[in-house]
Amino acid sequence: MAIARKEIEHIASLARLDSSDGIFDRLAEDMQGIVGMVDKLAELDLGDITDVIDTERKNAFHEDEVIQRYSPDVLIEPNAPDFQAGGVAVPRVVE
Amino acid sequence: MGLYEKTAAELSALLESKQISAVELAQDVFARTAAVEDRVQGYVTRTEQQALAQAQAIDERRAAGEALPALAGIPIAIKDNICTKGTLTTCASKMLYDFVPPYHATVMEKLDAQGAVITGKANMDEFAMGSSCENSAMHPTHNPHDLTRVPGGSSGGSAAVVAAGEVPLALGSDTGGSIRQPASFCGVVGLKPTYGAVSRYGLIAFASSLDQIGPFARTVEDAALLLDAITGHDPLHDSTSVKTPFEGSVRANLNADVKGLKIGLPKEYFGAGISDEVRERVLAAAETYRGLGAEVFEISLPLVEYALPVYYILSSAEASSNLARFDGVKYGYRTPHAGDDLIALYTKSRSEGFGAEVQRRIMLGTYVLSSGYYDAYYKKARAAQRKIRAEFASAFEKCDVILTPVAPTTAYGLGAKTADPLEMYAGDICTVSVNIAGLPALVQPCGFDGAQLPIGMQLIGPRFGEQRLMNAGLAFEQASGLRNIIAAL
Amino acid sequence: MKYQPVIGLEVHAELSTKSKIYCSCSTAFGAPINSHTCPVCTGMPGALPVLNRQVVHYAAKMGRATGCTVNQLCKADRKNYFYPDLPKAYQISQFDVPICENGEVFFYVDGEKKSCRLERIHFEEDAGKLLHDEIDGTVVDFNRCGVPLIEMVTRPDLHSSAEAKEFLEMIKTTLSYLDICDCKMEEGSIRCDVNVSVRPEGTEELGTRVEMKNINTFSGAVRAIDYEVARQIEVLENGGEIQQETRRWDDVKLKNTVMRTKEDAQDYRYFPDPDLIAVEISDEWLRQIESEIPELPLSRYERYLNEYGMTAMEARLLSDSFAKAELLDKAAAHVKPKAAANWILSDVSKYLNDKGVELPDTKFSAEKLVELVQLIEAGKISGNAGKKVLPSMFETDETVAAIVARMGLEQVSDEGAILAIVQDVIAKNEKAVADFKAGKNVTGFLVGQCMKASKGQGNPQIINKLIAQELAKC
Repeated sequence: MAIARKEIEHIASLARLDSSDGIFDRLAEDMQGIVGMVDKLAELDLGDITDVIDTERKNAFHEDEVIQRYSPDVLIEPNAPDFQAGGVAVPRVVE
Repeated sequence: MGLYEKTAAELSALLESKQISAVELAQDVFARTAAVEDRVQGYVTRTEQQALAQAQAIDERRAAGEALPALAGIPIAIKDNICTKGTLTTCASKMLYDFVPPYHATVMEKLDAQGAVITGKANMDEFAMGSSCENSAMHPTHNPHDLTRVPGGSSGGSAAVVAAGEVPLALGSDTGGSIRQPASFCGVVGLKPTYGAVSRYGLIAFASSLDQIGPFARTVEDAALLLDAITGHDPLHDSTSVKTPFEGSVRANLNADVKGLKIGLPKEYFGAGISDEVRERVLAAAETYRGLGAEVFEISLPLVEYALPVYYILSSAEASSNLARFDGVKYGYRTPHAGDDLIALYTKSRSEGFGAEVQRRIMLGTYVLSSGYYDAYYKKARAAQRKIRAEFASAFEKCDVILTPVAPTTAYGLGAKTADPLEMYAGDICTVSVNIAGLPALVQPCGFDGAQLPIGMQLIGPRFGEQRLMNAGLAFEQASGLRNIIAAL
Repeated sequence: MKYQPVIGLEVHAELSTKSKIYCSCSTAFGAPINSHTCPVCTGMPGALPVLNRQVVHYAAKMGRATGCTVNQLCKADRKNYFYPDLPKAYQISQFDVPICENGEVFFYVDGEKKSCRLERIHFEEDAGKLLHDEIDGTVVDFNRCGVPLIEMVTRPDLHSSAEAKEFLEMIKTTLSYLDICDCKMEEGSIRCDVNVSVRPEGTEELGTRVEMKNINTFSGAVRAIDYEVARQIEVLENGGEIQQETRRWDDVKLKNTVMRTKEDAQDYRYFPDPDLIAVEISDEWLRQIESEIPELPLSRYERYLNEYGMTAMEARLLSDSFAKAELLDKAAAHVKPKAAANWILSDVSKYLNDKGVELPDTKFSAEKLVELVQLIEAGKISGNAGKKVLPSMFETDETVAAIVARMGLEQVSDEGAILAIVQDVIAKNEKAVADFKAGKNVTGFLVGQCMKASKGQGNPQIINKLIAQELAKC
């Protein structure tokens, strides 16, 4: 299945990647090859494997107890590209 | 013989009997690192000051009469996608060029508790995507056996520093062969444990359902030593972790007797694409086993041809989601070119922060998950995964372990393959099905090619078959003498 | 042309667990910015989620309380999108196999019983909060990230804003009966999105629907629905076409504006979260959950109407509060329901309102209420005395009898003692006796004098009887 340029641009926007980037044209070409390989799966007969939940393992839970061991000055501030007023700052979001 | 040339087991005994100190040992491996690292370039970050302090503390505890675990004072390198509290953890990406985790991965908590001495963070392909270590945003790593060649990847740095004698042990991670292929290229032992045997908490995810942390060493016993230290159910932090039957006891139960061991050779893994030299050495290893009393016979695993597409769908899909959190908002790289535009902040930070291979896989993963393709790709791949799992399960009704090559060739030259990603991916053919099936697999050297480059072999075991694999590996190691190989540099 | 509105709701309720859905951070409201955070809920590289068992329990409980089937095997899925309040850039939600499906909620609108089907209930994590007033840009507070939510999605079964409001009230009351949500609207504990379309009355085909977001109160939902229905009718009447889009409700300006059109509809790329494993609710667990569900508000409402003979208003007020309804039903086993209800609706409710406390936080109990009613019925205390002892019933562990004794409020019903008072009062009030003989009604005056003489403790019925008896002798 061929991947149209327009589709690549759509995927890039979903992935928040810059489709005007120089590497982009090659990306499309490479993806084409990978998708070609992936299309091979279509020939596989999967018979009765239809259920959507993998039940090999079930139920891993934490109990409802509070464990609070981090403070924002240790957890968030040291790595934040822009830390203001107690949190990470981003350009003004207009909802 | 320098201390750096000894195995971890030997060093552990020397430390315990106080014939050497942890500080002496650390200084010795650092001297080796100083001598060779500028050529190997296996580390992204070296933590020598901190390591000396850890070694000092171990020596003091030992001097005070404390009984310490086997790993106490042993130097270990850590792949740079495992979170180390207070130490730069970059995933070899510009995206995390300045990221210092505020927490330890579970494996780091365990190593800390065991008194291990952390020598630094090892180079890798960016976000563990690649098989040559050339996708590192920092620098490529060189194969210690031939500096013009790649060490393999993605855990190339971990494999290279162990092979170069810079450290006896290292941790790597394996999503589709990222421990095993570099172990093979560098002539060291590498183990990909059963999925869930080692907690992934703190391993910066590439593909959650396939990723697994595992040990690098120069002997099977050393790999067992490190495996024992990192294995364990982690119910508070990793829902996919499990309690294993062998928890912490593999080294103690090592047994090189392989009489009657049933070894399957899947014909599909020895076919076209595998170089003659590799095929010959692995088949010769099979003969060695036969000589040791094992039963060796051919089996068939026909679904292997679907393993690659399944792997690329699942790993890319999960990666596209796992790597979405690198958006320039909370940590790591943020573009200076976004102005007041939030979308530009996302897009530019990600396009400037991620390398080409990472972007390629995010694109593929986003594509296979996007509306209209989910059923055809992702769902189908999940179903195929179960078929592959079932195929392995029925194979293990006939044999105890499966012996295969690791990579089609020995280490190739730097720059030789990066141009064609498809060709690069084809190199994963022998390793990815193990991740898809969640099985353990051991890689160790089984010989050299004409250019004196190491050739590895892979022993695949059933779920939780680590002990069986290590026993079989030890038997071969003893019979072949291929152990503790340090590259001449 | 007459149009019929067709309304569906997506209701989010925050579950009142102590810890978050995928980590052990506190869910407490109003903490300092980013103080309830950890590597998991801030989306640190390498951090992994582990599901809170209580979330499964609570979600299944709501499902069973609304007639849903519980999918005893379900899973968590990732919903992928970028937004600063979503640190992982995906929300862990449930997609194709939600924990509960196919329920139905019943409620009354103006005395008429209605129902709305629930398509599904799933659990998911809340996002963070964006703060716009602190700095020039936006600051992200991750405290709410990972607070557990259930999302309840209805079928388009509602046909007026009044129906929507009553449905929402019933959901809220049910959540509070189950004690799985604190239902504090001002803290955003319950939020909803509304889907509205209109169609010509009498037709079946659904019109193009518009989704409205940013609705924070039930009354806001009513305003938003009324506005949108009117807007759509106006568009159609003017020969226009409704666009499938998402609109943002502004409850200050009382209008909505376009947020997203169909063209920029999101592609969330749902897939099973590989960091989590299947959730299985065993038969035993499910039975346990079911056993914890009390008699629900609608059933109580109908019982109060039909069995207790209450007015719709009374039945509603009592059944709306689990604590009051429990109080009533426990008391009604021993005393007349109406008597207990009167106390609960009047003095008990007034005390709680005045003090701003909740019934379970006081020492009031059904046993005490029964004792109070029985003391009054037995003539041991007067109704007025009952009002006087009531505050102590909330505040002390004493029995009502002990409070009555301590306050000296016991009613005198001993005829001998009362007779002495009556005779004494008659003797002292010659004018009243004379008036009586002249045909005037002086009973009220004399009863008052007797009550005064008995310091309010004389049984008024006996006083009445004895006054009539003694006057007859004059």
